[in-house]
Amino acid sequence: MNEGQPAGLDIFEVTLPGIGRRYTLPVAEGARVVVVIHHSGRRDLYAFPAGAPVDHAPAASISLTDDQARRLGAVLSGAYFKPAVVADVETVIGNLLIDWVTVRADSPATDHSIAELEIRRRTRMTVVAILRDGTTVLAPEPDERIRAGDRLVVVGRQEDLGGFLRHVVGPDRG
Amino acid sequence: MGDELLALGGTFLAAGVVARLGRHIGLPTIPLFMLAGIVFGPHTPGVAFVEDPRDVALLASLGLVLLLFYLGLEFTVDDLIGGGRRLAAAGGIYLALNIGGGLAFGFALGWGAREALVIAGAVGISSSAIVTKLLVELHRLANPETRLILGIVVVEDLFVALYLAILQPVLSGTQGVAATLTSFGKAFAFLVVLGVIARWGSGLVGRLISSDDDELFTVCFIGLAVLAAGVAEELGVSEAIGAFMIGVVLAASPSADRIKRLVLPLRDAFAAVFFFAFGLSINVSDVAYVAGPIGAAVVLTVLLNAAAALVTARLYRLDAEPATNVGVTILARGEFSLVLAAVATAAGLDGRLSPFVAGYVLILAIAGPLLASRTRWIARRVPAPMISSGDEQ
Repeated sequence: MNEGQPAGLDIFEVTLPGIGRRYTLPVAEGARVVVVIHHSGRRDLYAFPAGAPVDHAPAASISLTDDQARRLGAVLSGAYFKPAVVADVETVIGNLLIDWVTVRADSPATDHSIAELEIRRRTRMTVVAILRDGTTVLAPEPDERIRAGDRLVVVGRQEDLGGFLRHVVGPDRG
Repeated sequence: MGDELLALGGTFLAAGVVARLGRHIGLPTIPLFMLAGIVFGPHTPGVAFVEDPRDVALLASLGLVLLLFYLGLEFTVDDLIGGGRRLAAAGGIYLALNIGGGLAFGFALGWGAREALVIAGAVGISSSAIVTKLLVELHRLANPETRLILGIVVVEDLFVALYLAILQPVLSGTQGVAATLTSFGKAFAFLVVLGVIARWGSGLVGRLISSDDDELFTVCFIGLAVLAAGVAEELGVSEAIGAFMIGVVLAASPSADRIKRLVLPLRDAFAAVFFFAFGLSINVSDVAYVAGPIGAAVVLTVLLNAAAALVTARLYRLDAEPATNVGVTILARGEFSLVLAAVATAAGLDGRLSPFVAGYVLILAIAGPLLASRTRWIARRVPAPMISSGDEQ
């Protein structure tokens, strides 16, 4: 079966009309991880063990919300803990970390400007861009108001991310 | 006013409670919303929340408009082209067999030519809502055949839109060649104008209604959708196709994803009213009266889908289980069959059509998902020579 177009190194992408996109990541010895990203933001993770036929049911599957998936992605990418053996992680260069977070309606930062929040002074992280409704605000001014649904691209030191998340995004929902 | 609010509240609650009960055993919502309408309607003994279906008629047609509007929003040319020629072939096979078979069946019933056209659509087109939900809930999104199933459904969705567009002038029963041609011309011109807007003007339309405020934005795009439906209806093109086309226009605008997110709960609520209202108009004894045709149509659909799945399996070289998944998942019938029946009723066609479609949808919308969750069992019973063919290529 056609597993789709390569979307990057060893990741294959397929559009699922009406649902979203599917990414297949072959891992060691024929095992596969499949990620389905729904238009709603929901993510489905499917794991297929080594040696399982293509049409076989997955060994495990789990659904995540947009937020949970992002946090899981951050964990996987080494944003919280980077083992010493890992020299470079794509989003972590040296001690510099680039991450993006989505602001929710109930986030502490919602409807406050960057200056009001004193993001740089309090969290030592810098908001370098805001993605909002398909447009990008590059290098936002201090008086730029953060709204629910904004995706903030932040740069800073790895150890400051936790504080930034607490200050701007708020506690993670169940 | 109090009466109507009572009727409406009862509608929502009855539909919701019945569908919740069904969920426990894995049944989709659409047939159960309709069933709730039948049970709590004026034709069955016991509680009747709505004595007169006309009390909820306006909100039901709002449900129809939002249903088709959302379908248009989800429609992208990329999805259609992205599947390539083989997908078009698979979709074509499904449509040819199901619509062709449905048309032959409709004429064989002898209820009339216009009725046959409605039956062809109602019997021939599967429910994209039920199919999509099934794939998600059965954890089959990672399966190799899922892309194919969704692709076939997209081809069918496009066909529904075109079919509704050509059906309306036929159903309106205009007399004479000139009048028929005029109404076809109007429908065609309407499609072309909105198609042109979708291709080149969606950015402008998007900017016209765009607002950072969710509240204002929602009010504006709902207004646009309902207005387009109304204009289409006035032109004799069918409200459904107007709503669909304005959805296609907005699908190409930058705010498409935001509209989808905002309109979804509204669509779900009012589509439930539409299905419930359809159920209200159904008299169980009328359904019993057309039990023969319903049974025949169900058997025909199962056979045609088995045939279509076998041909598709050969085309895509699928094994028994994926092939069975394709055949059984696409079996579910739902919203489009009911939309066509509602359109037929509005046009004053044979009164047997609605009970026929109601019974047919009830059986296939419930049997489809139940079968789909047991495909492994079915696949083992499919004779191997019917499937394994592609290896020699």
